[in-house]
Amino acid sequence: MSKFSSVNKELIEILNNEYISALNDFNMDNWLACFSQQGQYILTAEENIRRNLPVAFMLDDCYARLKDRVKQVMEIQYDSSEHYQMRHFTQLISATESENGVIETKFNFSVYYTPRDTHQTETLCVGKYEDSIVIEKGEALFQKRVAIVDTNVLPRYVVYPV
Amino acid sequence: MSTKNNSTPSLDWPAKTNHVPKEVFEMEGLWEEELKNIFYGEEWHPIVHRAEIPNPGDYKAAQLGEINVFAVHGDDGEIRVFQNTCTHRGTSLVTESSGNKKELECPYHRWLFNLEGDLVGCPGDREFSPDFDKKDYGLLKLRVEAFYGLYFATMSDKTPPLKEYFGESFYEPLQRLLGGDGRLNLIGYQKVIYDCNWKAYCDNDGYHGALLHKAFAMLNWQGGQGTQIVTKNGHLCFDSELTMPDHVDALEDGSILDFKGTETSNGSIVLMSFPITVYTKHMDMLNIRYSFPKGPKGVEVHYAYFSHQDDDDEMVRHRIRQSSNLLGPCGLISMEDASVFSRIDKGNRTQGDAIFQKGVKDEYAIPLEVGQTDETGNLARWERYRELMGFERRAK
Repeated sequence: MSKFSSVNKELIEILNNEYISALNDFNMDNWLACFSQQGQYILTAEENIRRNLPVAFMLDDCYARLKDRVKQVMEIQYDSSEHYQMRHFTQLISATESENGVIETKFNFSVYYTPRDTHQTETLCVGKYEDSIVIEKGEALFQKRVAIVDTNVLPRYVVYPV
Repeated sequence: MSTKNNSTPSLDWPAKTNHVPKEVFEMEGLWEEELKNIFYGEEWHPIVHRAEIPNPGDYKAAQLGEINVFAVHGDDGEIRVFQNTCTHRGTSLVTESSGNKKELECPYHRWLFNLEGDLVGCPGDREFSPDFDKKDYGLLKLRVEAFYGLYFATMSDKTPPLKEYFGESFYEPLQRLLGGDGRLNLIGYQKVIYDCNWKAYCDNDGYHGALLHKAFAMLNWQGGQGTQIVTKNGHLCFDSELTMPDHVDALEDGSILDFKGTETSNGSIVLMSFPITVYTKHMDMLNIRYSFPKGPKGVEVHYAYFSHQDDDDEMVRHRIRQSSNLLGPCGLISMEDASVFSRIDKGNRTQGDAIFQKGVKDEYAIPLEVGQTDETGNLARWERYRELMGFERRAK
């Protein structure tokens, strides 16, 4: 069976592009807008997934938590963070539609970061997204985006979602 | 106390005990002396909690200074810590950060060790040297002591027994932090490298809490009564009451801050054992921060989080949510600490001294009685560091 069985790839790609643009443009409201009202976001390490350990780096398991994530970045910790420019590169690996209409997708990603003091670009993390996507009013939205990093030891503290 | 030898870099240490020379952080040549005098000296270093390797054959790799070690759960139920090297030619035996093995085989010449560290097989041994005896070639075992499931290792035979080393003012809250009885389950890790010297990572105080962490004020989160206890050998214990607001207006989902409370804490226990390890029981999070200096620059921190074996499903879920969102390198109430580590590191590449002020009553004494919101709790650790490194304090 094709890894892209009868799925509207274009809508998925648009959603993913909006997501990474939001983060790379430092626009957390646009990041939030990528999720449905049932949306969840998880950033975790491959080691935790492999060993069935549920703790994550970020665990926003309801829409209220997603809104609190925006507040954490933009208000609560804004002035104490050393901000950095992120740049995401993603690659759609698979997209399949389940019986309930939810589209399951996988993307590989690599994320680079450039601090505003050294301006030297380094790798923040490499991994994969495992997503559940719903189509609402002709628009794709994340019901769940799980970012699983192969980079089990992150090279710095992480201010923003990946 | 170690004595200074001729190869030790000299450092002019200020007479005032609340002054620390900034060059102590990354001065060339210091790291090698710190390894010898501190990390390989008379100190206990936490390596693993039994909950991380609960089954026979489970192992976990770690570092002690620059020495690669691993802890392994033996078939006899004992947990041992070995240097990660075959006793033949030195090949590393464990190549992953964790896993499970029935036995430990070196791939190079197929020397085989059981989980207790005994050499049980070595092909061609009839042609070995005349004095060869398998009994002499067991894995290099470190001295270990356990405290409620947490295994500490030391490189020295002279290190005092664990309880004597820590003292009751430290091990009593550590017991509470380990759930009271040490019956824990591992629920996950967060691992990160902080861009600072390991000694900058160690400085923690009761002064910065409400000032750096804006979340405390935004959440109307009142710190209650508490104590900060310092031991002469540089361990530190904060034991504080947390008074949580009835309703958290600043967050959409205030449940993340629920303190469901257990009998072992008033809200917050933060411990730091010399030289580098932090342990916290903050609200319902049980957390050990295994910390590994990357030489003079950078420190790798592995935050390990636990639940208690008596928790119901709801409590486990709550601990998972808090652990994932409040502490660690992305946490709502700790990410700022990571930022400060990095900024201290950069800022200390300047001239002069780093100066402690809050709580200083006598600039020439080492205070062991300090207030809850003082920063003087760090001074006993700095004094112990200075003594172990053999730096002379300038005359008054």
